[in-house]
Amino acid sequence: MGSKFFINDNQDLLIEILKRLDGRSLGVAACVCKQWCAITRDDSLWEHLCFRHVSPPPDGVRTVVLALGGYRRLYMVCVRPVLNRLRKWKPIGMESASDSEVGRRVYWTRHEVELSLSLFCVDYYERVLLGGGGGGGGGGRHGDAACTSSLMFLCNAVNV
Amino acid sequence: MKRGHTMPYEQLEDSFSGGCSSAAGGGGCSGKGKMWEEDGGVDDELLAVLGYKVKASDMAEVAQKLEQLEEVMGSVEQDNLSFLASETVHYNPSDLSSWLESMISELNPQDPFSNSSSSFPTNQVYEDSSSFDSDLTAIPGKAVFPQIENPAHEPQVQQPQSKRFKPTTATELSSSSSSSISVGGGMWGSFQSESISTRPAESTRPVVLVDSQGNGVRLVHTLMACAEAIQQEKMKLAEALLKQIGFLAVSQAGAMRKVATYFAEALARKVYRLYPSNPNDPAFTDLLQMHFYETCPYLKFAHFTANQAILEAFANKNKIHVIDFSMKQGMQWPALLQALALRPGGAPTFRLTGIGPPSQDNTDHLQQVGWKLAQLAESINVEFEFRGFVANTLADLDASMFDIREGETVAVNSMFELHQLLARPGGIEKVLSFVKDLKPEIFTIVEQEANHNGPVFMDRFTESLHYYSTLFDSLEGCGSGGELGPVSDQDKLMSEVYLGRQICNLVSCEGVDRVERHETLAQWRTRFNSAGFEPVHLGSNAFKQASMLLALFAGGGGYKVEENNGCLMLGWHTRPLIATSAWKLSS
Repeated sequence: MGSKFFINDNQDLLIEILKRLDGRSLGVAACVCKQWCAITRDDSLWEHLCFRHVSPPPDGVRTVVLALGGYRRLYMVCVRPVLNRLRKWKPIGMESASDSEVGRRVYWTRHEVELSLSLFCVDYYERVLLGGGGGGGGGGRHGDAACTSSLMFLCNAVNV
Repeated sequence: MKRGHTMPYEQLEDSFSGGCSSAAGGGGCSGKGKMWEEDGGVDDELLAVLGYKVKASDMAEVAQKLEQLEEVMGSVEQDNLSFLASETVHYNPSDLSSWLESMISELNPQDPFSNSSSSFPTNQVYEDSSSFDSDLTAIPGKAVFPQIENPAHEPQVQQPQSKRFKPTTATELSSSSSSSISVGGGMWGSFQSESISTRPAESTRPVVLVDSQGNGVRLVHTLMACAEAIQQEKMKLAEALLKQIGFLAVSQAGAMRKVATYFAEALARKVYRLYPSNPNDPAFTDLLQMHFYETCPYLKFAHFTANQAILEAFANKNKIHVIDFSMKQGMQWPALLQALALRPGGAPTFRLTGIGPPSQDNTDHLQQVGWKLAQLAESINVEFEFRGFVANTLADLDASMFDIREGETVAVNSMFELHQLLARPGGIEKVLSFVKDLKPEIFTIVEQEANHNGPVFMDRFTESLHYYSTLFDSLEGCGSGGELGPVSDQDKLMSEVYLGRQICNLVSCEGVDRVERHETLAQWRTRFNSAGFEPVHLGSNAFKQASMLLALFAGGGGYKVEENNGCLMLGWHTRPLIATSAWKLSS
């Protein structure tokens, strides 16, 4: 007799699958049902997303990232815009790469990691310690993506 | 029936056959596509835009008649002028010359050149004729329009227009002195009918000078002519030119307009000797700088490149002491703390000494910043210690104050602070010598890349005009993300005010008050070399990080990082604007 396979009964499998998604799909997945929402909010999924292409993942990053707001926030605020913006930008040393190669680049270099983390730290400092971003006011920001003041430039549309 | 100053204009409107829209204020002359009506090539172009045909050769005469007319109307005003509205026959005003003739003859011309007092600030409507005359003749053709064949005519174009639209009632001085200027940025809206705040209230009727290439060039030339007049102490001429600048600036859009406005304000301060009475409130400056930090990449670039240099210098050190000359809100240090936390081999102990100006209210601003940084350091497990020093000027400090401990490696960091020391003799030498006494591993400097400290005012003015025009241009591209709406506009505005204050100080102050004494990298190099420092090359990591950072900014296409003998410069298109360099003691 056939038994129906229901993914929600197999949480481990579900997580394995979700681990392979990109950020946008993860966001979409969060809207499916309560269970999926709860799972996708787990920071480890986002950690995996942030650093799965960086090998080996940098030491000690987890403590820092968790202290500064968690991987999901790191992804939303820094990693995603950085990757998006820099997707079309050819880093030094890759100038000879064709556009399609660069476009498909999903890994990111050590420099991008460092830059994202630095920006993330600045974000934390402004948000938490300077009280919502040095006089920038709170209205009009995007909801959860929470673009705080100094990282506002990451939210602006870019004419690439 | 309208009285007083609106009268001649209203009459014009009614009888005008030129096709100008009849909107109140007559702003809608956009229909005039044929701007450069040149029958016989002699009609003045600016007036032609508004529909008046005035031959360039008649300009002087027309101007005089206008002046006459105004005098007459003003003096007659106490009596009933209503007869003008109802009984006069109107002639076609597009032929200005004869129209004026008819107006004047009807009103019984009186002595046109009564010398009203024109002592500022109780300026009456009519400038005394001496200034009027001097405007007609004294503007050196070369200074203003080097190529045009009739130099003397062009400035007259402005004169009649400014006369024409001045209200004939006594102008109330719109507190043109301190109060409006201090909120400089806020006054300059993005629409054209804004009244000019730096001089007695002119008419707020929009003067539609359709923007043409010519106006932009004229504006620059007029600004320079004004600066030159000030340098030669010809204040009356400068005053007259300021008015022209006002009109020209309004006709521009965007960056050019803002720059012109700030420079005009600074020039006005210089002419009328209205220096800001209170020194810049550091808390407000900090706030402005925060907005500047958020809007455009200059400060971020400065911080990130300096941090990278410091990181590399401290690669194997375990006890770090950084002395920051420009503490402000401490925005530079979170990124360094984070990088130290993730350093392979573990985080060092980090000690920060911050130096700042005394605060106006009695809060211990430095301690607050230090405390916040300490909290951050604690959350990412970096041992941190902070100490704050309040000093009016860096030259008051001494190496012994810093309590350098055994085994500590020292770094000194200065963001846009050193140029202020050049205002007093001996300041920079003193600071460099105590920095040497501290024996730092690295001394990171970021300064504006421009020479705004030359001995000749005119040179400084020209240099800074170009510099800030470029800077404002780059600001135009920032923060234009539509969805962020008014917030980003506010940031941009505050950034502009921040820059505007620099402009004001640079242009209108002198002596020890003039602290914005920027110098170029080459000049700083000479200074450091002779003081006993040698350069440390900023590596490729710094360059890569800086390039990446800039690529993230909207309008990022305009920003360029350049490497210059081991120093990094950030510029807008071809013009470098700030330079980061690093130094160590020469062995």
